[in-house]
Amino acid sequence: MTAALLTLADSRLPAGGHTHSGGVEQAIAAGMLTDPASLAPFLRRRLTTSGAVAAGLAAAACRAVDDTDVVAALSALDAEADARTPSPALRDAARQQGRGLVRVGGRAWPHPAWAALPAQPHHPLALGVAAAAGGLTPRDAAAAAAYLSVSGPATAAQRLLAMDPITVAAVTARLSPEVDAVAAASTVGLPAAADPLLDLLAEVHTVRTDRFFAS
Amino acid sequence: MPPDHDLDDYVDPYSPGHRHGGPLRVGLGGPVGSGKTALAAALCRTLSSEYDLAVVTNDIYTTEDADFLRRNAVLPDDRIEAVQTGCCPHTAIRDDITANLDAVELLESRHPGLELVLVESGGDNLTASFSYGLVDVQVFVVDVAGGDKVPRKGGPGVTASDLLVVNKTDLAPLVGADLGVMRRDADAVRGGKPTLLISLRVDPAATEVAEWVREQVRARALQEA
Amino acid sequence: MRTLVEVVARRDARGRTVLPVVRASGQLAVRRTGDGAVHLVATAFGPLGGDDAEVRLVVEEGARLSVHSVAAAVVLPARGESPPSRQVVRAEVAGVLHLAPEPTVVTARAVHVAELQAELGECGELTATEQVLLGRSGEAPGRWTGTTRVVVSGRPVLHTTVGLGPGAPAWSPPVAPRAYVSTVRVGERQAAVQTGVDAVRLPLPGGWVGTAWAGELHEAVARLAAVTRERDLEVAR
Repeated sequence: MTAALLTLADSRLPAGGHTHSGGVEQAIAAGMLTDPASLAPFLRRRLTTSGAVAAGLAAAACRAVDDTDVVAALSALDAEADARTPSPALRDAARQQGRGLVRVGGRAWPHPAWAALPAQPHHPLALGVAAAAGGLTPRDAAAAAAYLSVSGPATAAQRLLAMDPITVAAVTARLSPEVDAVAAASTVGLPAAADPLLDLLAEVHTVRTDRFFAS
Repeated sequence: MPPDHDLDDYVDPYSPGHRHGGPLRVGLGGPVGSGKTALAAALCRTLSSEYDLAVVTNDIYTTEDADFLRRNAVLPDDRIEAVQTGCCPHTAIRDDITANLDAVELLESRHPGLELVLVESGGDNLTASFSYGLVDVQVFVVDVAGGDKVPRKGGPGVTASDLLVVNKTDLAPLVGADLGVMRRDADAVRGGKPTLLISLRVDPAATEVAEWVREQVRARALQEA
Repeated sequence: MRTLVEVVARRDARGRTVLPVVRASGQLAVRRTGDGAVHLVATAFGPLGGDDAEVRLVVEEGARLSVHSVAAAVVLPARGESPPSRQVVRAEVAGVLHLAPEPTVVTARAVHVAELQAELGECGELTATEQVLLGRSGEAPGRWTGTTRVVVSGRPVLHTTVGLGPGAPAWSPPVAPRAYVSTVRVGERQAAVQTGVDAVRLPLPGGWVGTAWAGELHEAVARLAAVTRERDLEVAR
C-alpha cells in the first residue's frame, strides 16, 4: 500500500498545508533563516521537535483506530496533543490542518474512525486515521507526519526567499535518513520534544497583519 | 481493500451542480488592479439589503482587501473573512481550496441564513480560475486599461468564467482601447457565455453585475426546489 | 548512587501545614525551614554521571508546601564515558506546591536528565521553576534534557521535553542558549500569550507556562520576568 502513503505525504493533497510555513515565515522575518545553509538547521529543528511529536501522535492515532473505544482513545490523544502544543497559534494551525485533512481523507478513504475524531482534530490525529483508513501502518503514519514536518516549511522557504527549488529539493532529500530515523523512533511512546523558539516565532507571527502564511 | 475505497464505487456527492444547501458561492477573480475589490464592495452595497451576504478575501499579502471592505463599512466585520494564501493565491482558489472552504464554512456557521458568499481572489494572472469545488459560479474581472487585447489573449479566466466583466470602460478613450474589439474578441472565445462592459465609476452600484448575480441565486433556488 | 527524598504535607486540625513525612537517603538531605517549607541540601558533590535521584512530594488538600534548595546543583561527568545523571520529581498535589530549586549547572561532558511529573487534583496549585546553565564560567556546555508533565484531574495540560546542549537536536545556532529558565503555574485563571525578547508565556488551562533563554542566567531570568507578572515571580521564588 505504498501508493496510499505517497498520496498522504504528497504536498498536492488538498488539505491546506500550503498555507502553513511551520515557522519559516517568522524565522525569515527574525533573520534566522536567510539561505540554504540556514534552511537545513531550521528544518532539522522542526523535524526533531514538532515533527517527532506529530509522528508519535500519528502512529498512536493509527493504532487507536483498532481500539474498542475509538472515540475515547482519539480524544485522549487529542488532549496529549494539546499538552504538547501549549502555543495557541500552533494549536490553531494544527487543528486547521487536521480539519482540512479530515475533509479530503474522509472522501478518499471512507472509514468509521473519521466520525470518531474530535470536531477539529490535531493534524497528526487526522493523519493517523487517514493512514489506518487507507490501509497503512502506524509506522507509515509516522513517516508521513515526519516528512510533512519538513516538506511544507521547505516549500514555504523556497517561496518566500525565492530559493533555487533544486537546492531546496536537495536539502529535503538529504534529510531523508533523519526523517526515517524520527519516524522509526516516534512509533514507540509519545515524544514530547519541544522547541520554545518555534512557540515564540508562532506567537509573534500570528499577530502580524502582513503575512503570507497562516502559520 | 474496503469496497467503498474502490474507484468504481466512487460517487462524488460534491461535484458541481450536486452540492445542496448552503449559500450560492460566487468567485470574483482577475488580474491585480482590475477592480475586484471595488466590484465586491459595489455588490455588497447593492445586494446586502436583498440577501444574507458575506465575503471571503484572498489577498496575496496582508488583509488589505478585507480592511478596505471594513473601512468602507459595506458589511459588518463578522461577515468578512480574510484567508492567508501562502504566497500562492491561485493555489488557494484552485488547487488546494481548504483555507477558503474553512472560511466559507465559518461564515455559514456564524450566519446560518446565509444566502450569498462572494469569494474574492487575490490579484493573479490570466490563467487563474476558481475550482468549482469552492464556488458555484465565477466572475472574471479585467479592465480596459490593461489593453484591449486581453480578451483575445484568452486564458481560463477569460474563456471559461461564467461572467466576464470588462471594467473601467470610462478609461477607454484615454488608453486608446476599442470596446467594440474587446466585446467581439470576448464573444469569440466565450462560447455564448455573457460579457458585461461596465464602469464602476459611472455606475457605483454595478447594476448589471448585480442583476446577473440575482439570476444565479434564482437559478440555484429553482435547481434546489 | 540512588537518592530518594519523600515529603508529605498535610493540613492539621488548626489549618496549619504539618509535614508528617520528611525522609531522605543518598545524596540529598531535607531540612525543615518553616511551616510547610523544606530545603534540599546536597550532601556530596554532584550529581555525578550515573546518579539517580527521585523526589516524591505529596501535598494533601488544604496543605501548602514550598521546596527550595540551598545551592546550585553542579552536575559533573563521571570518569570516562559518562552516563547521564537523573533527577525525577513526582508530585501529587491536592493543595499548593511551590517548587523553586536553585539553578542546575551542567558542566562540560556532563549529561543530565530532569523530569517533573505533577498530578494535580481539582483544587491543586502548582508553581514550578527551573533554571539551567550549561557550563560553568568559561567552560564548554554540558547536555541537559528536561521533561515536564502536568496532569490536572486526570487530563494532561502540559507535556514538553526540552533538550539543551551539544547534540540536542533543537539546540543549534542561531539559537543555542547557554541559559534557560522556565516557570509553570497552574491553579489560577488562564493567562494570555505574552511574547518578549527570547521569552514567551503561553496559556495553560488555569495558568501559564513561561520560558526564556539567554547567554547568561540573569538575562534569562530577566527576560522571563518581562513576560510574566512580577507577582507570579515572587510567588515562584
